Amino acid sequence: MNLILAANLISIDPGLIFWKSLTFLLLLFLLYKFAWKPILQALQEREKSIDASLRRAERALAEARQIQAENERIRREAEQEAQRILREAREEAERLRQEELQKTRAQIQQMQAQARAEIEREKQGALDELRAVVADLAIQAAEKILRESLDADRQRRLVDRFLESLPANKN
Amino acid sequence: MEPTALAFLAAGIGAGIVAIGAGVGIGRLAAAAMEGSARQPEASGDIRTSMIIAAALIEGVALFGLLICFFLAFK
Amino acid sequence: MGNPTVFSYSTWWRVGLWCAAILWNLGPRPGLAAEEGDENISEVLIHHTVDGYYIALEPIATIELPRLFLLRTAEGSWRLDAFGSTASALHSGRYVANYEGHRYTAADELEELIATHRHLYAELYPRDGELVLDLSITRHYVFGLLSALLVAGFFIPVARRYRKGTGRTTAPRGIWQNLAEVFIVFVRDEIARPNIGEKADRFLPYLLTAFFFILFSNLLGLIPNLGAATSNLAVTGVLALFTFVIGTIYASKDHWRHIFWPPGVPVFVKPILIPVEIMGLFTRHAALAIRLFANMSAGTLIILSLIGMIFIIHALFGALAAWLSTLPSVLLTLFISAIKLLVAFIQAYVFTLLSALFIGMSVAEHAHEHAEHEEEGAAPVVHAVPTAGETRTVLP
Repeated sequence: MNLILAANLISIDPGLIFWKSLTFLLLLFLLYKFAWKPILQALQEREKSIDASLRRAERALAEARQIQAENERIRREAEQEAQRILREAREEAERLRQEELQKTRAQIQQMQAQARAEIEREKQGALDELRAVVADLAIQAAEKILRESLDADRQRRLVDRFLESLPANKN
Repeated sequence: MEPTALAFLAAGIGAGIVAIGAGVGIGRLAAAAMEGSARQPEASGDIRTSMIIAAALIEGVALFGLLICFFLAFK
Repeated sequence: MGNPTVFSYSTWWRVGLWCAAILWNLGPRPGLAAEEGDENISEVLIHHTVDGYYIALEPIATIELPRLFLLRTAEGSWRLDAFGSTASALHSGRYVANYEGHRYTAADELEELIATHRHLYAELYPRDGELVLDLSITRHYVFGLLSALLVAGFFIPVARRYRKGTGRTTAPRGIWQNLAEVFIVFVRDEIARPNIGEKADRFLPYLLTAFFFILFSNLLGLIPNLGAATSNLAVTGVLALFTFVIGTIYASKDHWRHIFWPPGVPVFVKPILIPVEIMGLFTRHAALAIRLFANMSAGTLIILSLIGMIFIIHALFGALAAWLSTLPSVLLTLFISAIKLLVAFIQAYVFTLLSALFIGMSVAEHAHEHAEHEEEGAAPVVHAVPTAGETRTVLP
């Protein structure tokens, strides 16, 4: 009896095959229509959207990197520009200073020369004046003296002769 | 000895031999797979899949042996 | 599980509940062992493993299932007989029973058979006419239907969430949706796509249905008083048949050529190889069915045997020894139950994996394989298929 029962263990019941096939087909259909299709579609959609957003993020990151690089470049350029301007300004200032110095120096020299010429001229003038004054004085003195001894013409001649004997370049 | 008893004996011995064969086969397979995945951990996923497939094939052979033992015992 | 004390408390509670449920199964069996006097362990064991026309909800009740018979009457016409239970079929007087090789035909004999509950294990024959097909509902069918309903009842609400938008663009929310998605993505990315290749998505609905049906059936088998529909060869046979039919319908030209004119072998080997290929085609699907069936029924048999040990010891050594053997027996049963839980997942995985592999083998178009047989790694996705295809000559 055990043998019969145990043989049942591996026997195949045709009725069960019929019902099972029917049920499984129904389950397959039901799940395909109401479960797997929406779920798999949703999963695919989500995967796509995740993929797309990843790609978008990557692109945004690249863009941000580019912008950053651009900013960096601009900053560096600005810095260089500033450096350049500063250097130029410094050079300019130096140049101006030098120029001013030169100018001042030239002015001073010019003024010196002017002063010297003035002094020379003044001196000449003074000498001329002095000479005239001295001559007048001498004349007056000589007149006084000659009033006693000479007439005016004689005296003048005497004085002129004396004056001419004086070295001309003695100043 | 009566034939039924002999059939039972044959079925029992057969089932035992089948179990030994399948056990040795799957054991060797698992050992090789583990060695492989220890040596190359990055390939362990592929190794596991192939191991299960190969184990299933060995098991399939064993099940056929077992089925014959079943028939021997029941028929 | 923030509080470890609570966690361990509930774990022990569950373990206790589990043990109690197992011990519950040890209760007296109405009908079978009770009036026979001594416990026939192997009989109990087989009755609990094989299919039957009743559901044993011991110790509460035994529910008889409807019987349906497709008959061919003596006049040559077809008739469908339907009864609410085996007992009512026998009460109607139109059926006779065959139990343990003895034919019960008289009404009082049948009444006695029903009274001792042995009619549940008897074969029924119509008094007149010829039985064409016994379409009776069996308990394995009920368990299969239950797991099919559970699968549908689990995934259709989950799908509704996706339809509403949760998980479509946002992350999945909640335990159930996340759990479902983990398994669905696992089946898609670890089973279907590596083994079928680019055509994987077409077969994904079948693979998912098979995977979850088997998984839910296997898990139902862990519940005391219920059984796994997959521990029935007809059920697993139907599943394997589906794999075979799908593989055959969608088979590529290369597949047929591979079977009827195997490439890469000398002509004189071909006559030997062709029958081997054809046989392999059927046997590998048969192995698919037998593997699942054997794994699932073996667990039940081992658990029942371990529990049966107590009764055997009781019969041999007396009550004290039986009481002492209870603890190791129940602990071993607990261990095997844990193994069964593991096997429930592994077998669902293995069945789906091999189904995907077989379908992949038959739909693969590996024209490149014949042209450049030695070139490897040309198509990484499809490659797994031809590699397995080469081993199919030795495949059971």
